[in-house]
Amino acid sequence: MQALPLPRSLRPGFSLGGLIDGRGFDTLLVLTALGYLAVFSAWPLVYNLIMSLQEVDLFSLASFDRPFVGLDNYREVISAPEMPQILGNTAVFVIASVSLQLVLGFALALFFELRFPGASFLRGLFLAGWIMPPLVVGAIWSWILAGDFGVLNYALKSLGIIDENIFWLSDPARSLWSVIIANIWLGVPFNLILLSVGLAGIPEDLYEAAEMDGATRVQRFLTITLPLMRAQLGAVISLGTIFTLQQFDLFAGLTQGGPSNSSNVMQYWSWQLSFQEYQIGLGSVISVLMIGFVIGLAAIYVRSTRHEQVY
Amino acid sequence: MTQLQIELDGVDKHYGAYHALKGIDLAIPKGTFVALVGPSGCGKSTLLRTIAGLEKVSGGALRIAGANMTGTPPRKRDLAMVFQSYALYPHKTVRQNLTYSLRLKGIPRAEADRKAEEVARITGLEALLERYPRELSGGQRQRVAMGRAIVRNPKAFLFDEPLSNLDAALRVQMRAEVRRLHDRLGATSVYVTHDQVEAMTMADHVVVLRAGRIEQQGAPMELYDRPANQFVAGFIGSPATNFVPGRVTADGHAVHLDLPGAPCLAISGATPGRPVTAGLRPEHLQPCDPGTPGALALPVAVVEATGSQSFLVTDTDPALTICLAGRSPVPPGGTLSVTIDPGQVMLFDADSGDALRP
Repeated sequence: MQALPLPRSLRPGFSLGGLIDGRGFDTLLVLTALGYLAVFSAWPLVYNLIMSLQEVDLFSLASFDRPFVGLDNYREVISAPEMPQILGNTAVFVIASVSLQLVLGFALALFFELRFPGASFLRGLFLAGWIMPPLVVGAIWSWILAGDFGVLNYALKSLGIIDENIFWLSDPARSLWSVIIANIWLGVPFNLILLSVGLAGIPEDLYEAAEMDGATRVQRFLTITLPLMRAQLGAVISLGTIFTLQQFDLFAGLTQGGPSNSSNVMQYWSWQLSFQEYQIGLGSVISVLMIGFVIGLAAIYVRSTRHEQVY
Repeated sequence: MTQLQIELDGVDKHYGAYHALKGIDLAIPKGTFVALVGPSGCGKSTLLRTIAGLEKVSGGALRIAGANMTGTPPRKRDLAMVFQSYALYPHKTVRQNLTYSLRLKGIPRAEADRKAEEVARITGLEALLERYPRELSGGQRQRVAMGRAIVRNPKAFLFDEPLSNLDAALRVQMRAEVRRLHDRLGATSVYVTHDQVEAMTMADHVVVLRAGRIEQQGAPMELYDRPANQFVAGFIGSPATNFVPGRVTADGHAVHLDLPGAPCLAISGATPGRPVTAGLRPEHLQPCDPGTPGALALPVAVVEATGSQSFLVTDTDPALTICLAGRSPVPPGGTLSVTIDPGQVMLFDADSGDALRP
């Protein structure tokens, strides 16, 4: 048997031609990507991890030569008196935001699947929330939720649902929920679009086959739609959780974590420690803990997309 | 009289301004294999989906086993459908695909499993019960789709071009297998196809549709021998019928074909002097010796040999196709003499295309 000539990219030697259309170009592409990841992703993560093990204050910030304190920062954060409340707030914030975003987003996606006149235009309007800067969204919601002259109180009073103004942002029992409401509004479009794409990917004849097989509408949803949406549901839940854990602007725009930490969450607390109290080591500890959690979630996300259905 | 399983009375279907089905009358006796055949867009799939209930009827009535089902939702019609794409549930194993309808009916798991295994034996799927559809070949998926219909023991089977995604050899094999299953189950089947060979070989009763209308229906050979019009004559039979313009002679006893050197064909019964279209089936043009009286000499342009048959295309206007058994006696560029048996010529009105029967 005669050996086939090697493709040029696999032949030994390196030349300008090799760089342009041979293996050299592939190497260049890989190195560019790796370099970007190293400088802008890996290094900040590593630097953050190092800072979480050091005593860092305003004066030692500029120098890398800072005293290592082992796990002291971790102990301090975990035993901080506000820690249980903030951790609980974070859990409530994430679970309430993600589950309500999912329910509303899925309901809307199913609604727009009905393909009534103007459906795609209306669905496009829902993207408005997605393209607005979250800080602007925060400012708008702070007007809506304002206690004395907010439009929400006005609407509720006009409808006769409440008699007195509710101080959404300054009442410790409600401040966290105010941010959750705004965050749900912000996150629904993402859920809507991703789930719409998933729904559109399910072939129509599967529903018809199920209908012929005797399935009612509800049975078709439970036995066809839900199982075939598993990958998309996994994606929006894990990505939604990650986005929710990143949500900073709404806290800055609405409550600044107050009053008295009643609406404070881990990501905002980390920022407060690092950039308001300049206990940068402590702030880094929270970042490291959150990164660990998010990496675990990302692993679940990757697993859920690996099992996507092939029709 | 045999019991009618599916009856359609003047069924109409409109999509907005588009009139997809025009007054369809169809009566399907129990145990019959009916093929709906026609070119793309003729409404055959729409008709099948209308029987299934997946499309709503705009007018007329539909009865299944004697009961009016015109407005009944698909799940209450007790009909099973085999889709062109198979539409297997991708997240379910073969076993779960087969038992899905039974479980929806509330049949206990053990009994549903037993029925699924029985159907798997009939369709040759026993070894594949725990596989997912993505792990099956096209032919195996096709069997699962059939099995899913069979397991329900429905009032009728509806097939929507179920073999069109298979390769040619498998298609021929499955053709016979589908028909065998139909006979074995004593089922009533409605089968949509654009392939007239499939319709002719499988069906007891063929319905030819064009532009939402039934052009002709009947037994396969009836359609071949006595097509109601030029469209049916051209659609049924392969290769397609040759159409040659002609004129009935003044005495009304012969037809003169509009081909150079063509003899007068002794066919009586048509209006004298009337312009007609003659339908000559490629297999009815008989080669003969050049000197034979009444022979027509045709210059041959193309020879397509398949081994068992040869198809010759002539260099005439209109070009004729001749179908010969075995090899062609003449090469391309040669001349072939043929005789035409007047008894095998089909005559159609040149304007309306309707068959003229002596």
